[in-house]
Amino acid sequence: MFKSTTEVIDCLGEQDYIATNEIGTVLFLAERLNKPVLAEGPAGVGKTELAKAWSAASGRELIRLQCYEGLDETKALYEWEYAKQMLYTQLLRDKLQTLLVDSQSLAQAADRLAAEEDVFFSQRFLLARPLLKAITSEKPVTLLIDEIDRTDAEFEAFLLEVLSDFQVSVPEIGTIKAKTQPLVLLTSNNTRELSEALKRRCVYLFIDYPTLEAELKIVRLKVPNLAPELAKQAVDLVQKLRRLDLKKNPSVSETIDWAKALVLLNAKTLDKETLENTLTILLKHEADVQRARTSMQREEQQQRRRPPLDLDDGSFNGNIKPIKRI
Amino acid sequence: MEDRIVQFIAGLRAAGVRVSLAESQDAIQATSHIGITDRAMFKSALSATLIKEKKDVPIFEKLFPLYFNMGTPPLIPVGGQLTPEQQALLRAAMRALIGELSDLVQRLMAGKQLSREEMERLAKMLGADRSRRPEDIPRLTRQMLQKMGMGDLMEQIETLLQQLAEMGMTREALDQIRQELEANAQNLERQVNQFLGQSLADRLTEQPPQKGDPDLMDRHFGSLSESEIKELRREVARLAARLRSRIALRQKKGDGKIFDAKTTMRENIRHGGVPFEMHWKKKRLKPKFALICDMSESMRDVIEFMLRLMYELHDQVSRARSFGFYDHLEDVTDEFSSNRPDEAIAYVKRRFPYRPYGTDLGFCLADFFHTYMDSIDHRTTIIFLGDGRNNYNDPRLDLVQDLTRRARKVVWFNPESNYEWGSGDSDMLKYQPLVSAVHQVSNLRQLAEAVDKLFS
Repeated sequence: MFKSTTEVIDCLGEQDYIATNEIGTVLFLAERLNKPVLAEGPAGVGKTELAKAWSAASGRELIRLQCYEGLDETKALYEWEYAKQMLYTQLLRDKLQTLLVDSQSLAQAADRLAAEEDVFFSQRFLLARPLLKAITSEKPVTLLIDEIDRTDAEFEAFLLEVLSDFQVSVPEIGTIKAKTQPLVLLTSNNTRELSEALKRRCVYLFIDYPTLEAELKIVRLKVPNLAPELAKQAVDLVQKLRRLDLKKNPSVSETIDWAKALVLLNAKTLDKETLENTLTILLKHEADVQRARTSMQREEQQQRRRPPLDLDDGSFNGNIKPIKRI
Repeated sequence: MEDRIVQFIAGLRAAGVRVSLAESQDAIQATSHIGITDRAMFKSALSATLIKEKKDVPIFEKLFPLYFNMGTPPLIPVGGQLTPEQQALLRAAMRALIGELSDLVQRLMAGKQLSREEMERLAKMLGADRSRRPEDIPRLTRQMLQKMGMGDLMEQIETLLQQLAEMGMTREALDQIRQELEANAQNLERQVNQFLGQSLADRLTEQPPQKGDPDLMDRHFGSLSESEIKELRREVARLAARLRSRIALRQKKGDGKIFDAKTTMRENIRHGGVPFEMHWKKKRLKPKFALICDMSESMRDVIEFMLRLMYELHDQVSRARSFGFYDHLEDVTDEFSSNRPDEAIAYVKRRFPYRPYGTDLGFCLADFFHTYMDSIDHRTTIIFLGDGRNNYNDPRLDLVQDLTRRARKVVWFNPESNYEWGSGDSDMLKYQPLVSAVHQVSNLRQLAEAVDKLFS
């Protein structure tokens, strides 16, 4: 268990996750209060990544439950392994025969068979899905319930039950209680309103796009090969793009992909050609790409009207070509 | 501290944030873990346990400083560090200017705090004791200080310093006095600000929450303010996103009644060919839409939302075609698929300029029949978005009848409430028996329900 908020932030830092004070506080509290964390925010700001870093930082295994509409208990909690049960009955037919051979009546045979029922409804034939796995695990785990907003309301209600006392009842077996309480992180892209009850049980964390400094730090950390000057330019551009009101804003992970691409292409500067070639890594809609292009052109024109930059002021080094203007 | 947190929670509730008992317990527990030494951490602990929706964050941000303000430094008598001769000089100067200096300067010189009663009296004079909005506080602070004579404070200080200089005060001493006076003035401002904040906080705690606006979901599209329209746009986008997963699910589910021998055999090879798992053929439902939107003047209030809905549907369903009609019919599919929402809507609106009494649905239907009938087949759902007001032109019911035969479904979204149907030039009642369904769509809730029914 972490001792303080700063320790949380430091440990996340060791896992290459740059956490804000707020994230540190919330994770610290979640562990202390034994409450799930509900992380909301736009897609691609590192919510899932946070879960991974958290589990690694606290030395727990990560169990992930990806949600989608139509997800039900058999996919999330447990399922009887029907095929295996059938196979076993087939293979054990002889044994069953000997068991039933000297029974006097049909009722007696049925009774005998019923006495052996436990064999077929035991943990052996129970197919544990992520939730049950998290509960029955011997070692402490972190449970990530990803994109909870995609499930239906019924599943949310069911989840509530599991999250409130970390126990599950299987009718044939009985109640299974968690041996160690898992840390739980739920993420949501806020495509629909989550129920009050679920929110009430969670500690809430809103993760927004990082600031320029924070994003630069992330890029530096994840793509150390990128020249610092170029990294700054790249992040600056991404931040500008986010202000453009696009159909889909570039996410942090896309910034990182782009930075990696720039390294692979051996780019020295963000000139027009490199941008043309790589902009599609950041923007995934044709309309967005068009919009970004026009806005960049406009900016360039404005810059052209201003007095030209002094290229010998030391901020540029020798091998940088001035930006080509077409 | 606990009391203050409880008051803060009451304030939040009064401002319309829902905080349950369990959550307030969490907040108090959380702060006991975090401690109160680090203000930022204390704040995020409260925020994490009390605020569960992004829209409540601004309220939290506004109220937090009102309840958890650090104490302001007290006013200090001016001239404490001067030599006894200089202090005597200062007193003499004050005596000499006794008629000219305002109460405020004298108060600042003496370092005398405003008592609570004085503040309350001033606040009452300005009506600050009735304010319920945290954003009023900077203005009220300014007004209260004006009332106390902050306006000509600078001149007054100058007069005093002038007098002192004439009486032979040294330069350093003068600077010292000026600095101390200004520091006192600043602290006074902070005190007033805090007083106003606290009294507002107390008021919010005491008084029951006001009843808010009727839910945005139930408001008529035509009666919305600029900011509400913005919010509604976001809601429409969210509605569309929800639809997407729903459509995908419905497409997947189909109603599997036919045995799928091929898949069953393939899947059961791993069980040695014993068919444990049955597979059924899935019927795939691939929705196709033709959206026909009325662009006439009578639709003006709601057209923005109708078009936005069309845009979002385009985004979700790949095979959607859109048409607009007024006095003629036009295919506007390209506008929607190649532009961003605001531009697309503006373009489409521009394509149909205002023509008084121009609506002619019958003619447009004929046009549609003639030119675009190839886009309609047995999988297409045709959606009319309009009020069915036809300027007493021929409604061409025969064409609508034909459409219902050709298409999977013909649905009508009408922004008017159903007692208006059939009144005046409305042909709605004539169309109603021919089409599969008519939904009244005048607010977001109805829109959501109507769209939801499209996919069932």
